[in-house]
Amino acid sequence: MLFRFHNLIISALFLLVSQLSADDTQAREIFVEAILAEGSEQTALVESLSTTASTLVPDFLEAWKRGDIFLLEADGSAAPTPLLEVEPEQEGGTPTYFRVIDGEEMAAGSFDPAALEMARPSRKTRRVFTMTIDLLALSTPNVQERADAALKLGLKRDDDILPKLILLRETETEPSVIEALNEGIAVSMLSHGTKEGQMDAIQLLRDENSIAGLDALKNLRHDLNDGLATHPFSEEELAKLTASIASIESYISWTDFVGTCFRGLSLGAVLLIVALGLAITFGLMGVINMAHGEMIAVGAYSAYISQTVFYSLFSESTFALETYFLFAIPFSFLTAALCGFILERTVIQFLYKRPLESLLATWGVSLILQQGFRLIFGAANRQVRSPSWLLGNVEIFDITFGFNRIFVIGFAILIVFGTWFLMAKTPMGLSIRAVMQDPQMAAAMGIRINRVRMMTFAFGSGLAGLAGVFLSQIGSVGSNLGQSYIVDSFMVVVAGGVGNIVGTVISALGIGVTDQALQPLLGPVMGRICVLVAIILFLQWKPGGLFPSKSRSLD
Amino acid sequence: MKFLRGVRAGAILSAGALLGLQAQAEEDDTVKVGILHSLSGTMAISETSLRDVLLFAIDEINASGGVLGKQIEPVVVDGASDWPLFAEKSKQLLLQDKVAAVFGCWTSVSRKSVLPVFEEYNGLLFYPVQYEGEEQSPNIFYTAEAVNQQAIPAVDFLLEEGREKFYLIGTDYVYPQTTNLVLLEYLLSKGVPLRNIGGGLRRDADGEVISAGTYTPFGHTDYQQIMADIKKFAASGDAAVINTINGDSNVAFFKEYAAAGLTAEEVPVVSFSLSEDEFRSLPAEDLVGQLGCWTYFMSLDTPENEEFVANFQEWLATADVDGIEREGRVTCSPMVLSYDGVYLWKAAVEKAGTFDVDSVVKALESGISFDGPGGTVTTQENHHLTKNVYIGETLPSGQFEVIESFDEVYGEPFLKGTFSEE
Repeated sequence: MLFRFHNLIISALFLLVSQLSADDTQAREIFVEAILAEGSEQTALVESLSTTASTLVPDFLEAWKRGDIFLLEADGSAAPTPLLEVEPEQEGGTPTYFRVIDGEEMAAGSFDPAALEMARPSRKTRRVFTMTIDLLALSTPNVQERADAALKLGLKRDDDILPKLILLRETETEPSVIEALNEGIAVSMLSHGTKEGQMDAIQLLRDENSIAGLDALKNLRHDLNDGLATHPFSEEELAKLTASIASIESYISWTDFVGTCFRGLSLGAVLLIVALGLAITFGLMGVINMAHGEMIAVGAYSAYISQTVFYSLFSESTFALETYFLFAIPFSFLTAALCGFILERTVIQFLYKRPLESLLATWGVSLILQQGFRLIFGAANRQVRSPSWLLGNVEIFDITFGFNRIFVIGFAILIVFGTWFLMAKTPMGLSIRAVMQDPQMAAAMGIRINRVRMMTFAFGSGLAGLAGVFLSQIGSVGSNLGQSYIVDSFMVVVAGGVGNIVGTVISALGIGVTDQALQPLLGPVMGRICVLVAIILFLQWKPGGLFPSKSRSLD
Repeated sequence: MKFLRGVRAGAILSAGALLGLQAQAEEDDTVKVGILHSLSGTMAISETSLRDVLLFAIDEINASGGVLGKQIEPVVVDGASDWPLFAEKSKQLLLQDKVAAVFGCWTSVSRKSVLPVFEEYNGLLFYPVQYEGEEQSPNIFYTAEAVNQQAIPAVDFLLEEGREKFYLIGTDYVYPQTTNLVLLEYLLSKGVPLRNIGGGLRRDADGEVISAGTYTPFGHTDYQQIMADIKKFAASGDAAVINTINGDSNVAFFKEYAAAGLTAEEVPVVSFSLSEDEFRSLPAEDLVGQLGCWTYFMSLDTPENEEFVANFQEWLATADVDGIEREGRVTCSPMVLSYDGVYLWKAAVEKAGTFDVDSVVKALESGISFDGPGGTVTTQENHHLTKNVYIGETLPSGQFEVIESFDEVYGEPFLKGTFSEE
């Protein structure tokens, strides 16, 4: 948005100073007239701008809307001169002014900037701005913009615009624009067309599965029921209309279903990466680690630190923004692991046999850490910007797949695979499992259990740090970030069965999908409550969770 | 009867004034006022700024000679984001410290919890933050924006821009719920059909609408499903979102909004709980072009505002307050309304010639004007303020660019049931 606006100004500047085609001259004249006119005359003039072929119009209208057009009062009874204000590039500089009529720059000192008065468009006029810009967009070479404008104008259901769209359909060659035009025309036809046109539109919207057209179809049915429609419908025609609505609605419920599954998976993936670290520290090691949430926050703050470092090293460049995240991933893992290591050495190693005391001690640590974050980073939340490859989305069959959501699913798969590999396939994993199952026996076999415990706890904390990096992309980074996820984490681990990573995976995905499926039905608040109640009931039925641990050494 | 009541009131007043004068004569030449805000807990991030601006206003007044020749002595207490504690602290301010007036509260729930205390002990509270209305206590002065000074002008603006469909979303508590119910009535009265209002409706057994819109808990972070719903709702064009989400959740909301490919041109969001101060901890870049509606913006181009902003920054640099943040500070509507409150109180005290609560309230009710940073504000008989309302567009810097203003809007707290179809 920022860049777009800058481009606008630069292109406006360029055009202002250098070229003055006949179209532009005409557009400028109408524009000046519009600024000086009032009421409905002004509105009509702005509307007439859409017939000029000048590329300046959208920039002018944008500038006018934003309050960058000023009036310089003339002496005597002459009309004031409209000026375009361009903000200086550097903070604190003085703005430059250009005469709207010919684009000449006003020499500084030839007038008093303080005496300028902002030219505000009347509210009625502002309303036609977007329509004028859209009408102009119908003739831009950019295919996407043309298609968007065609659909938007069609949705306005304006009978002045409809003939223009029909005219355009005859000359348009781009298939995607023709499709948008057809959809837009069909929607307009529902309100303004002949009976035949309406029936064609009903069929077309049904064939296209047009979500945008659903409202228009429903409005038509309302009008028919209230007797307000221009053409009365026969029973058969009414049935066709109803069938068309039903068909689009069933298409929507299908997209809702698939979309909900995807969103459930992505929430499940978030829960999974948040809980996986806990599945190791609590699930395997049996430490009730209330500071797990703060390990997540450590990861999130690490992402913030790496962003700051990259920005200062490479001065806020695109390169810094695009790459800091790749560095942040291992960095957060290491910082969180280091914190976990320190926590284990200073507190937890003395409490392995006293789980309740470890609960209290880690809770205390969590409070200390939260206050520490506030002291170091301040009470206000910190912002972490997302690299462009995590922004945006793809849309397939009207379902939006956000890149960040796709990323988190892939990220979760990688982390789970990595954890599984470490646990099942490496000598380290073997000794971890040995120590967790029977510490005395493991010690007797020559495994240094203290070291293994230390490493395991650091690894679990590191995983929490990884969760923090991702959370920094979907929310803000603050001292109580961890608090909002600690309950979820325990919920996932307990429901999945303590000590079992497969159980954690399944329960995270299950909770995610259930939560998303209940939300549209019950709302976010009730949906959440229902999920919690369901988990409580489930644990009554299966106290050990999905996959209860069968090992004899764990009590 | 009316005459008699007048006489009685006059008698009580003069007696009160006498007592007041006597009490003051015994004390030294200062007058105490209370500052009751959360300086710790979840609301501290917003409310600390109000404490700062109140102290600033008091220092300013003291430097220019005080009120009725007395220096103001602020008594700062911490409500700690704990609503029952607010009631306890206000009792302490009124009974123990015997303050002449209290400036404070942010959340509606804290105001509701101190209200009975102020009524019982006849205190005077100035409340500065936009709220849902439907309340008018004789002991509270609402310098805050009433619904018709924020939500309704914003909706009017959107209607003028040609928006036809409105999606309501907020945090689940009293302010968003009440505001949205009022807005629902207003939209229906403007000819927007019920099917064009998104977010869902809840009705009670008699079919009466008791809740309009979608609500999420405090601190909610997952807006995927809601955003999918908004996208579907907006597919037919000309839709807008009315956002009463509070706090952190806004970050998650706007990040999800961007990820869903929505833009301010297609589906503008107007937010009622986001001011310049909130933008200090929000990614303003994600909100460029979205709308805000307040009775003050820091970017207002008036000499009063420029002076206010400059003086406040200067004061911050040297202020002797524990743990005060000096860097990167901004001003916003709740701060300015707190500031206005102190000056209105001063003017009322000077008009009444006494610190006695009843006389001051009477003076306030008679209509007192102050040329504040956001324009002239005038007190009304119904304990609200007449003031200017501005609509602004968010800039990447976290400031607003004013794109529309409504002059001297009368504050009207009771709106429910007042709209009829045109």
